[in-house]
Amino acid sequence: MVKTRTLVTIILCILLLAIAASLFLWLRPAGGRVANVYLDGELLYSIDLDALTEKKTYTVETDRGVNVLVAEPGRIRVESADCPDQVCVDFGWLTDSAAPIVCLPHRLVIQLTGETDVDAEVGG
Amino acid sequence: MNLKRLCRDAVLTAVALTIFIVELQIPDLLPIPGVKLGLANIVTVTALFTLGPVDALAILLCRILLGSLFSGNMMALVYSLSGGLLSFLVMLLLKKILTAKQLWAASVFAAVAHNLGQILAAVAVTATPSLFIYLPILTVSGVVTGLFTGAAAQFAVKRLSGVLKN
Repeated sequence: MVKTRTLVTIILCILLLAIAASLFLWLRPAGGRVANVYLDGELLYSIDLDALTEKKTYTVETDRGVNVLVAEPGRIRVESADCPDQVCVDFGWLTDSAAPIVCLPHRLVIQLTGETDVDAEVGG
Repeated sequence: MNLKRLCRDAVLTAVALTIFIVELQIPDLLPIPGVKLGLANIVTVTALFTLGPVDALAILLCRILLGSLFSGNMMALVYSLSGGLLSFLVMLLLKKILTAKQLWAASVFAAVAHNLGQILAAVAVTATPSLFIYLPILTVSGVVTGLFTGAAAQFAVKRLSGVLKN
């Protein structure tokens, strides 16, 4: 049998490591202002947020559902979605975080990177 | 399967489902997919430690399937299943080395394993490895919620094991 003290130590170590890793990953800047929108792992749009001069709306529609994205100079967010959990909408604006906006039910991911993918439809 | 066992497991499944549906009404604490209390796991842990692996697995699978159906979120099924099964496996292994008083720890590791399983499924489904960036924060959330549900399950086992076993 394992001692309770050992268990507590293991759990505390995991917790501290995870907190450190989260802080490191989330506070790290994305290193760029190009928003790549992926659907099913495939690049759909590559939007250079710094090159934008006005508000742009993108509608991503599949047989799973609809997400409406709004890009403004320097930031992007999911304005509305018909998914059940609304996690992607609640995320709010993505400005310089390395953490992506995810809509798991619709398999949609929005991630900031440094480079534009030349093969993608730039700016929609 | 005898009638008594069937009824007992059905009642526990109903309890788990009720908790699951009620928990859906609680607003998301953080805009991160997968951060939730996981209160229904209290029933899984309780069943595993009082009734054994077969009954607990049956209750878990019924709850996940019916829960996805009732919440109208069938697309969440694959995430729930991979998370649920991985956490069940971890609890099964831990059950062999933990005493009844250390039951809460099984729940902590189970919650962390559940979130890991969900991320693995999400990475596979969306083909987006960068989702692993959510692993640390989901681990923190798993430890905290696992402690809570683990403590609840430990109380439940202490009070209910006499009722459930006979």
